[in-house]
Amino acid sequence: MEAFQNRFYLNFIKDDRWQYIWDGLGVTLKVTFFAVLLGILLGFLVAVVRSTNEKTGKLKFLNFLAKVYLTVIRGTPVVVQLLIIYFVIFGSVKIDKVFVAVLAFGLNSGAYVAEIFRSGIMSIDNGQFEAGRSLGFNYVQTMYHIIMPQAFKNVLPALGNEFIVLLKETSVSGYIAMQDLTKGGDIIRSQTYDAFMPLLAVAAIYLVMVMIFTKLVGILERRLRSSDH
Amino acid sequence: MTINGRTLIKVENLYKTYDDFHALAGISEEICEGEVVVVVGPSGSGKSTFLRSLNLLEVPTEGKIYFDGTDITDQRVDINKHRQKMGMVFQHFNLFPHKTIMQNITLAPIKLLKKGKAEAEEEAMRLLRQVGLEAKADAYPSQLSGGQKQRIAIVRSLAMQPEVMLFDEPTSALDPEMVGEVLELMKRLAHDGMTMVVVTHEMGFAKEVATRVMFMDAGRIKEQGIPEEFFNNPKDERLREFLSKIL
Repeated sequence: MEAFQNRFYLNFIKDDRWQYIWDGLGVTLKVTFFAVLLGILLGFLVAVVRSTNEKTGKLKFLNFLAKVYLTVIRGTPVVVQLLIIYFVIFGSVKIDKVFVAVLAFGLNSGAYVAEIFRSGIMSIDNGQFEAGRSLGFNYVQTMYHIIMPQAFKNVLPALGNEFIVLLKETSVSGYIAMQDLTKGGDIIRSQTYDAFMPLLAVAAIYLVMVMIFTKLVGILERRLRSSDH
Repeated sequence: MTINGRTLIKVENLYKTYDDFHALAGISEEICEGEVVVVVGPSGSGKSTFLRSLNLLEVPTEGKIYFDGTDITDQRVDINKHRQKMGMVFQHFNLFPHKTIMQNITLAPIKLLKKGKAEAEEEAMRLLRQVGLEAKADAYPSQLSGGQKQRIAIVRSLAMQPEVMLFDEPTSALDPEMVGEVLELMKRLAHDGMTMVVVTHEMGFAKEVATRVMFMDAGRIKEQGIPEEFFNNPKDERLREFLSKIL
């Protein structure tokens, strides 16, 4: 027991080492939050382009660009994308690592979110679309008032899952030496030569965050399901 | 019932072609204000395609459609404006499942006719009372029976104060005991002078309510006339065969 206390003291209390974890947690949350926003925005736009093209045959060029984006992003590892953005695209300029991480993870997530949204839009019966159009709504109004609210409800579980993946995926940010939660734990390990405590602490924090987030998504799902009786 | 003659919908030489299949093979027709036109025919005869092309849910390959004197097949025409005046009722109701009955009815009047919420809801309640479903205003579509859903779908179209109502097999997806309540409402609409085009298999409705019955086969209108003529003295060979099978 005393050995445990000593290790706890060494890893977290001595030299205020807990701050590596605390500050890292802040960075992880910040990157995840803004990457989720960017991912939703990008994913939404790409999904609208793709499904509009599928439904009407319009937006051919934008659809082509969207397909290239999806193919490249989904075809390469996120770590490689992160490295390319940091060392190649912004290689010659001094740039905030958090910004780079948000950009990389947001761009990456956007591709997956786009396909989730698109599947949601395409899952809505075409009769809903026709009913909207027959009342006199134009394409955009029909999408906004009738299709999107239903599609969003259908894809919420998949969307929640994507954000859980994103939150955990940010742990590779150490590759560009950004001090996120994982890197924070790893720095402690390198100072104390104790792998067990800091890494388990880091794992536990991720787990708790994912559990809280899963709970929140569940509540939102239940509220949106109020029309299914 | 008297027909007062003003042409509401005029169709000229309408074709709809899929690859080498003619869903519509040259239809020219006029529908006047106050008419109740019932379209019958075997499945695949093009009757639904014909109906759905009247508000351009189906875009014809060739031909013109005039609504209220405007050529709505013209690309420069804002079809959405004209669709507001052409109510449509679908076989599968297509109520919006994420909205209450009240929201289903008032959505288009509020967003498109720019009515105030209170005014739109008052009008909706008036219509709901007419169909005896005012108690369902706050319910969701999934809580309604098929017959109730279709009556709400009709009310939703009526809330836009259309000049014509298009019915695409409105009772085909209903349990038999619910067909009556929907036909009853349609009869009342016809009685109130609504111009209607109805694709249906309900021959009783055609006999009783139609001012004109049309028989379609292979993308063409083969025969049409007032119900007595149509049912008692059919001339077209294919129509006789059709009637002998269903009556």
